[in-house]
Amino acid sequence: MNRKLVNIVLIVLALAIVVIIGKDFIGNKAGKNTENPYEYNVDEFRKVDSTAILYHETISFAVNADEPKGIAISGQQIIVVTEKLLLKYDYTGKELFRKELPDTADCVTVDSNNEIWVGTRHSVVSLDQGGTLLKRWNSFGDRSVITSLAVSGENVYVADAGNRIVYHCNTTGQILSKIGEKNEQKGVPGYIIPSPYFDLAIDDAGFLWVVNPGRHSLENYNPDGSLRTSWGMASFKIEGFTGCCNPAQFALLADNSFITSEKGMPRIKWYDQEGHFKGVVASPEMFDPDSYLAPDVAIDADQRVIALDFERKQVRIFEKNQDGNN
Amino acid sequence: MSDKEEPKSLERRRFIRSGMQAALAVSLGGLAGFSLLKSSSKNLVWQLDPFKCVQCGRCATECVMTPSAVKCVHAYDLCGYCDLCGGYLKPDPNARSTAAENQLCPTAAIKRKYIEDPYFEYVIDEKLCIGCAKCVAGCTSFGNGSLHLQVRHDRCRNCNDCAIARLCPADAFQRVPANTPYMIKGGFTKSGGGKGKEKKG
Repeated sequence: MNRKLVNIVLIVLALAIVVIIGKDFIGNKAGKNTENPYEYNVDEFRKVDSTAILYHETISFAVNADEPKGIAISGQQIIVVTEKLLLKYDYTGKELFRKELPDTADCVTVDSNNEIWVGTRHSVVSLDQGGTLLKRWNSFGDRSVITSLAVSGENVYVADAGNRIVYHCNTTGQILSKIGEKNEQKGVPGYIIPSPYFDLAIDDAGFLWVVNPGRHSLENYNPDGSLRTSWGMASFKIEGFTGCCNPAQFALLADNSFITSEKGMPRIKWYDQEGHFKGVVASPEMFDPDSYLAPDVAIDADQRVIALDFERKQVRIFEKNQDGNN
Repeated sequence: MSDKEEPKSLERRRFIRSGMQAALAVSLGGLAGFSLLKSSSKNLVWQLDPFKCVQCGRCATECVMTPSAVKCVHAYDLCGYCDLCGGYLKPDPNARSTAAENQLCPTAAIKRKYIEDPYFEYVIDEKLCIGCAKCVAGCTSFGNGSLHLQVRHDRCRNCNDCAIARLCPADAFQRVPANTPYMIKGGFTKSGGGKGKEKKG
């Protein structure tokens, strides 16, 4: 009887030891999952008041290719360039077209004639809708890193993050002027570009808007390269732009209000024509917890925000809420 | 007993002799192998791959040295010399100044120096740095990752079983040749890095 009792006690003890060791191993992964007393925590800034979120995601679909680089809209089709491919999708995510690019791509835009312009590392190429090469410009030099293009009629604006300059070119690639060089007389502060994020766009009046990421501002230029206006505010709070270099990407809505996209803590926001914060398109919580890269953004004819999430390799479409006319 | 058969005593002697020879060969081989291993391990040192580092804080808490032999180093060729530096300033600081309340580093080991508008240089005071990687996390998340950790070999005791390596959740620690003991960031700026391709950190 006594021996039976001892056996039971021993079995219970053995089970308890196994449970304790197992729990410690699973919970702590052999000491690897302990708390970090020096944790860098920005969780409070990831949270956004739900009333500030004015858009919702309607659909997302995967880009089945490596290294997506840029997104643009062409009629009813979504155009994505990866390092090596030109891809077209419909709004259900069905892949309609796939063709290898003549050069390694970094960014893309489509002009009013549906010509596809692709920024390569040091140059620019244009393609027809079938992906056939129409033009290949001369290189801007080994230092150049072309990160964004905008085309308006015969004017092509090229953002060169490597040389920290915007080239105003004609459609054959001839440089007509350089915009953004530091010039106190013209009130131009000069671009600060710590990392290769340097975006631009043209508003409906034909004026050029350029991000000055190191100054956390968007700058508007006259055709002669003088500064018309600028806006922006550095802050971790939702109203501002944070990090070394934001907004990393932006696009203009039809009413010339701004959709901006930030890196570090990815978030997509909506600002009015004067740069006043209107609301949030996609809060940081809508991106993967370890996300870092700023999604590229484009606007379609229905004023939807089409985002290219580099981390998920997804196209994500956001529509304004019914009551989102803030 | 036939003529061809050897006496049992002779067979036993040969067995003992060859056994001893084999034991000697094995022990000599083992000794040589051990010596080789020992001499080659002397030529290897611990280092951490900054691209694998997840800024967990273990380098500050687990090293047998106090303060840790792991320190923050700065790749100046990578740095954006940002005014709003994520590695220097707390998230959403009151001001972009050197006031202690605005500094992220728990030991104020980073010195901020004005260069020209709007550029600032950041220098690590290694005597104060405890290798906690808080600045590395800030710079990696909101900058371009120029601040990163390295094992400093003027302090590291090169323990056979490194206490940090044992617990590193990213397995970032590895043995590297003593004649190339550091894995300093900066290389990827030379090869460029386009939009959407930038490596975190």
